[in-house]
Amino acid sequence: MNEQTETPPAITIGADGVDVHRIEREILEAVAAKRARGEYDDAAVARAERNNILALKDDKEFMERYLACLRQIVPVDINDFEIVERRSRLAPLLKALKRTIWKLLKFYTYRLWSQQNQTNGVLLAAIEIMDRRHGAEVAALRARIEALERASAK
Amino acid sequence: MKIAFVSPRLHERGSVGGAETLLWNMARDAAALGHEVVFLTTCALDHISWKNALPEGRADRDGIEVHRFRVDPRDEGQLARFQIDITRGARLSPAQQLSWISNTANSSWLVEWLRAAAPSIDRVVAGPYLFGLTWNVCRALPDKTLLVPCFHDEGYARQGVLLDAYRKARGFLFNTDPERELAHSLMPGLSPRVESVVAMGIEPFEADKRAFAARTGIAAPYVIYSGRREDGKGTPVLVDFLDCFRRRTGRDVHLVMTGSGQVQIPPSLASAFHDLGFVSEQAKREAMAGAAAFVHPSLNESLSIVLLEAWLARTPALVHSRGRVLRWQCESSCGGLWFTDYPEFEEALLRLLDDAPLNAVLGAQGRRYVLERYSPAAVRARLAAALEV
Repeated sequence: MNEQTETPPAITIGADGVDVHRIEREILEAVAAKRARGEYDDAAVARAERNNILALKDDKEFMERYLACLRQIVPVDINDFEIVERRSRLAPLLKALKRTIWKLLKFYTYRLWSQQNQTNGVLLAAIEIMDRRHGAEVAALRARIEALERASAK
Repeated sequence: MKIAFVSPRLHERGSVGGAETLLWNMARDAAALGHEVVFLTTCALDHISWKNALPEGRADRDGIEVHRFRVDPRDEGQLARFQIDITRGARLSPAQQLSWISNTANSSWLVEWLRAAAPSIDRVVAGPYLFGLTWNVCRALPDKTLLVPCFHDEGYARQGVLLDAYRKARGFLFNTDPERELAHSLMPGLSPRVESVVAMGIEPFEADKRAFAARTGIAAPYVIYSGRREDGKGTPVLVDFLDCFRRRTGRDVHLVMTGSGQVQIPPSLASAFHDLGFVSEQAKREAMAGAAAFVHPSLNESLSIVLLEAWLARTPALVHSRGRVLRWQCESSCGGLWFTDYPEFEEALLRLLDDAPLNAVLGAQGRRYVLERYSPAAVRARLAAALEV
């Protein structure tokens, strides 16, 4: 193998061929269009963000993203769900047993989860109000500081 | 020139940590360049307990003189307390910082040996930054020390006692340009004699795209991740996102992982998850070659070797946009895409799955980039230049 003494520049953004920045712009446009159509208003998406949201904690848009996720998952899902059983031998029996247990649990816990959903809704509303209020206060303080700086510069 | 390389660990066969692999490869490159090389390390194998598992003394490996020294006694309780504080972003006093660094991996025997041998040694290459061993070596021989910091943007890298010592080092051998930028933001006004981006050479290889499916019977399209599975590497995000992707799109896309560590797989993903554990290099390369994408959601890397390997296997990457170095690798090579949240992940993965020509071009661009920038010859040339200054 020949020894290379010259190496290419460290960054070659937009090299020959496909420019990944162009592809990324297309992806962001597609996501924005789908978002506008409500295609990501899905509790599954919000749940999928549970670990990722920590990675975005320093972002400017953190609260916006966090609240968007919270809005999707704030109601506890108390609907029926598909009951599965992997042990094929006793599957029909075990499935029937699980269904009965679920019906009993649902009967006893429905009132509890309904109250929890009300509490979650109130908490979300409180966080949204606080976020808006703090945002408005910060904006007003910024404007005041800028005005004071302009005045002192004169 | 006589060069001493210092790494907190060196396994007897192969290697496990990224920094360890990097330093060992640099040592071999320096020897290949005709320098006289000694490799100084500890008797420890495990980076949690730092137990002295191997005998101390001299041995030869691949023609390089290796000296092992005992790890100093440590107060693990004290270390854990300060590590939690640092991770939480708490500000430690200088005394607390000293206590923290003194209870990481240190070897006063190694430092004493180095001091005694100093007159005959021209350069010391040591790393990574967050161990007392590296810090003490740099304090002992700052004018001869070239630091291989492997800086990550994290609380440990903001401890003043470390930075005060590293600022006096002869030079820095970085892995990437973003790491160099990070070093300057951590140490404003830094002006070492040597400042190079060297990184690690990767031997070119070819891998058959169909070999993995033929051997394992996994015919479904899949994405792959290789390396340690832990929160810090972002593997829970990958699991969450792929599970959601399968539910929302109805596509039977599988997840293949190689490497070690626990990973929590939800029942809905269990049938589509393939944990290969540690595999041979060839098996890993074939698994990479057959994948629709190599997904790396880690935020903190100083250089991703597995990403370079995936590109050599002509597989495009999909990384987290907040992983500064990984995104830089994708931007520099035009070999991969990035995502910030689930919707972007879904859209990017759909593009990589459905647009075969795009997938192939990104993979090819990644491969070309690795061959140009990270060939053993290119890396050795950069190392040679840095050692001569």
